[in-house]
Amino acid sequence: MAEDTFLTDDFVRQLINVGEVDILVGLPTHNNATTIGAVVQSIQSGILQWFPRERAVIINPDGGSRDGTPELVTGISIDDLRPVSNLHALRTLHSISTRYGSSPSRTVAFRTILAAAELLRAKACVVMSPESSSFEGEWISKLLRPIRHDSFDLVTPTYRRHKFEGLLVTNLLYPMIRALYGLRIREPYTREFGFSGRLGGEFLLQNVWDDATGGHGIELRFTLAAITGQQRICQSFLGQKDHVELRSADLVPALRETVGPMFSALESTFTAWSGVTASQPVPTSGPDHEALLDPMRVNRKRLREMFSTGVAELETVFHSILSPSTLAELQRIAGLEEADFNYPAELWVKTVYEFAVSYQKSVISRDHIIQALAPLFRGRVFTFLVENRNGSTEDLENNIEGLCLEFERWKPYLLQMWKSRE
Amino acid sequence: MPLSQDVLWYKDAIIYQVHVRTFYDSNGDGIGDFQGLEQKLGYLQDLGVNAIWLMPFFPSPLRDDGYDIADYNSVHSSYGTLEDFRKVLDSAHNRGIRIIIEMVLNHTSDQHPWFQESRSSTDNPRRDWYVWSNTDERYKGTRIIFLDTEKSNWAWDPISKAYYWHRFFSHQPDLNYDNPDVREQVWKVMSFWLEMGVDGFRLDAVPYLMEREGTNCENLPETHEVLKDFRRRLDEQFPGRMLLAEANQWPADLRPYFADGDEFHMAFHFPLMPRMFMGVKLEDRKPITEIMQQTPEIPSICQWSLFLRNHDELTLEMVTDMERDYMYDTYAENKTMRLNLGIRRRLAPLLDNDRRRIELMNGMLMSLPGTPIIYYGDEIGMGDNINLGDRNGVRTPMQWSGGWNAGFSTAEPDRLYAPLIQNPVYGYPAVNVLSQLGSEHSLLHWMQRIITVRASTAVFGRGSIEFLHPANHRILAYVRRLGNEAVLAVNNLSGAAQAVELDLKKYKGNILIEMSGKNIFPRVGEQPYLLTLGPYQFFWFRLRRI
Repeated sequence: MAEDTFLTDDFVRQLINVGEVDILVGLPTHNNATTIGAVVQSIQSGILQWFPRERAVIINPDGGSRDGTPELVTGISIDDLRPVSNLHALRTLHSISTRYGSSPSRTVAFRTILAAAELLRAKACVVMSPESSSFEGEWISKLLRPIRHDSFDLVTPTYRRHKFEGLLVTNLLYPMIRALYGLRIREPYTREFGFSGRLGGEFLLQNVWDDATGGHGIELRFTLAAITGQQRICQSFLGQKDHVELRSADLVPALRETVGPMFSALESTFTAWSGVTASQPVPTSGPDHEALLDPMRVNRKRLREMFSTGVAELETVFHSILSPSTLAELQRIAGLEEADFNYPAELWVKTVYEFAVSYQKSVISRDHIIQALAPLFRGRVFTFLVENRNGSTEDLENNIEGLCLEFERWKPYLLQMWKSRE
Repeated sequence: MPLSQDVLWYKDAIIYQVHVRTFYDSNGDGIGDFQGLEQKLGYLQDLGVNAIWLMPFFPSPLRDDGYDIADYNSVHSSYGTLEDFRKVLDSAHNRGIRIIIEMVLNHTSDQHPWFQESRSSTDNPRRDWYVWSNTDERYKGTRIIFLDTEKSNWAWDPISKAYYWHRFFSHQPDLNYDNPDVREQVWKVMSFWLEMGVDGFRLDAVPYLMEREGTNCENLPETHEVLKDFRRRLDEQFPGRMLLAEANQWPADLRPYFADGDEFHMAFHFPLMPRMFMGVKLEDRKPITEIMQQTPEIPSICQWSLFLRNHDELTLEMVTDMERDYMYDTYAENKTMRLNLGIRRRLAPLLDNDRRRIELMNGMLMSLPGTPIIYYGDEIGMGDNINLGDRNGVRTPMQWSGGWNAGFSTAEPDRLYAPLIQNPVYGYPAVNVLSQLGSEHSLLHWMQRIITVRASTAVFGRGSIEFLHPANHRILAYVRRLGNEAVLAVNNLSGAAQAVELDLKKYKGNILIEMSGKNIFPRVGEQPYLLTLGPYQFFWFRLRRI
C-alpha cells in the first residue's frame, strides 16, 4: 500500500530546488510576526558566520499564520537576486515555507521538518523556537557543531535562567527521566535542539504520529527515542533563556505535552528503563546549568489554595489513581496552614510514580489523570519556592539534586507497582 | 582561408595561448621554436582557433619566462629569427589565424640597454627613463604583488646608489611613463611589430604604468592618458588591430580601460575565472551571477576576454578573504600548489581530471559573454608538475604523442627546457594529441566540436546576456541574444542530476533546438519549462520561432 503523502506538491517542488544540504534549520511558526524577524536574522547570521561553506536551508512549516510570518521567513533567503549587504555569503541560502494546515500542530510541523531533512539528505538539523527573543546566531553553532564534528546524534540545550523558571522540568521531567533511563539530561523537553539526519530519519519511520496521545509532546518523544535508541547524546550551553510569562491555565496543556508522552512511553520502553539503577552525566559543552537569583514575584498563596482545593474536589479521582497512604498524606498536608505547608520530595516522587502506573493502567481517562496532576504539581511548586526562596545557586542545585536522588531511590517502588499492575 | 576583414574580428575569435618555447621543437635543441610552431599551425586550424596569443619571445635573461625583456625589436635566439617569426605570421594569416603578441609595457629587464644606461649615471640622457629615488619611502600606499619573493617595490641599485621602482620582480625595473621620450620609444616598438603584420597586443600589467604619491599607484588617470594615446595612434596608423589589457582588477576598476571605446578593445575578466571554479565546487551559481551583476556594460565595440587557465597561477587576488580560503582548501589543499595569491595548477588537475567538469567549464567559457582563450595543452587535458618551481609546472612541453619526448623534440630528454609530465594519469603516454586524434570521443575532438558549434553563430561573441534565475541554484542559465537570434545556455553545476523549471514566458512559442545534436525539444508554453540535466551537463539551445 502506498505511504500517505503529507507534503504538498509545492513544497516538494521547493525541496527539489534546494537539493542536498549539509545543514537544515527547522523553524515551526504560527503567527510569530512580532518575534520572527529577529530570530531569522540570527539564524542567517549564525549560518553565515559558523557554517559559511555548508549547504544550508531553513525550513518553515507554518500552521496557518495570518500575520505574514512565512513571508518574513522566506525573505531572508540569499541568492543571486537577494545578496546580503552586511555579510558576505559564499552560497545560496534557501529559506522556504510550507503551510501544513489552518491550525498549528507541533507534531505535524516536526514531521514536516523530518521529512524535508530526509529528502534533502541533511546531515545535521536544528529546530529553533520562533519566539525566542534571546536567540543568538551562535546557538546554531552550539547545537550543530557536536553533530557535524563530533558525531553526536542529539544535542539538547542548557540555559542560564531564573531559578524559578522551568519548574516542570526541574521538579518532574529532568529527575524522572534521569531516574528512569539513567541519563542526566537537564532539558529533555525543549524547543531548541540539534540532531543528526540519521536520528531524524529513524524517528520519522516510527509509529508516533497518530497514536493515542494525539501526537502531544513530540519533542519529548524524540528525546526519549534518542535515549532508548542508545544514540549519542550531549548537551550544549546556549546562554540566557528569555523569561516566559506563564499563566495558570498553561499548566494542563504543558503537562499534556510533557508528562503525557513520558508516562505513555513507559510501556514501550520498559526494557530500556527497568534495568537502570543509577544515572550518568552526559557530555556537556559549557555548564549544565546556570541560575539567575534576582527576586521574582510569585503568588505562593494561590498555589497552595489551588492545591488544597484540588485535593478536596478531586478526592474521588485520586482514589482511583493514588494509593490510600499517599492520598491520606496529601489530604493531611492539604489541611496545613500556609506557614506549615510542606510537600516533601519523597511524597512528590511517590505521587508521580503512582500517577504513572495509573496512567498506564488507564484507571480513568488518561487525559483526566494528567489534569488531576496539575493541582498536586502546584503544591509541590509551593514547597520548591519556599525551600529555595533565599538559597544560592549551589543551594538550588543541591535541592534539585536531592529531588533527583529521591526519584532514583524510589524507582524500585515504581518497578514493583509496574510489575504488579495487573 | 583568408582573414576576416571585420574590424571587430576579436569578438568572434577563439584565442589559443601558447609560448613558442613550449609548443614544438623543430631543430632538436630541446626548446620549442617558431619553425616548430609554423609546422603545427594546421593542428590549431583543425582545432578551430582563429587567433594565437604568443607569450614573450624577445631576447631576455628569462628570469621571468620572458616577461623581462632585454630587446623589444628582436626574437630570442632560442626560438629562431625575425624571419622565422615573419613566416609564422604569414602562414597563420593564410590559414585565417591572427597573431597577437605580448607587449610588456610596464617594465624591462634590468639587462635591457635602456636600464644599463639609466643606472650608469645620474647625468645619462636615459636616467629618467626609469623611476629613481634616494629613499624607499615614496609611494607607501602601493601593494606588493609578488608577496612570496619581494619585500618592497623599491630595490637598491649599488651602481647608481639609488633606489629604483619595480612592481614585479626586482630585476624588472619599471619604465617612467612621465617621460615623453619613453612613451615615444615604446610606440616605436609597437609600430615595429604592427608594420610587420601582427594583429594585436596583449599589453601586460597596464594598471601600473604611472606612480603618484598618496595613491595606490594603480589605475591612475595618467595611466589611462598614456594608453589612450597609444590607441589613438593605433587606430590612425593600423586600423583593425587590437589591444588587449591585462589588468587584474575588479570589474568596476576595469571598466575605465575601455573608456568610450577609445582605450582597449578587450580586457581580461579576471574576477570571473576563480568564481567559475568556485561555482562548480560549491555547486551554486551565486558566485558567477554575482560577479556578472557587478560587471558593467562596456562599449559595443569592446569585448571581455575569458579564460579558465593561463600561464600564471589561478589568481585569487580578486576574491574576498573567505572565498580565497575556500579556494585554497578545495583546490590546493597541498600548500606547494599555492603561489603568491593563487594556485599554480592546470585545468585538468584542478578538476580532478573529471571529463564532465572539464566539458562544463569549457562550455561556460564558450557561452558566457566574451572571447574565450584556451591555454595550450588544456584542449587535451594536460597535467602539471607542482615540483617545478614558480609557475613552471604549467609550462611544460606540449604532449604531441606517446613517443620520444612526447613528440615535442628529438633532443636528448635531459636537454629539454623543462621535464615532460611523466605521471601515470597525465603523463604523455596517457595524454597526447596523437592518441586523442585517433579517438572520436576524446577531449580533443570534443573541443573541436564545441568550438565549431560556438563558431556557428555570432551570438556567443557579440550577443547580449540575460540571466534566468530558476529556483534551483545549482543551475546556471542564460539567454544570449543578437538581433533575431537567441541561444539558451543551461549549465548544471552539480555532480548530481537536476530538475529545473525555467521561466521562458518571454520566448513562448519558440521551439528549442539543441545545438550540438540539432535535436528538437518541446515548444515553450505558458508553464515553466521543465528540463532535467545529468551531472555537470550543459545544453545550448537555439530558440526558433517556427
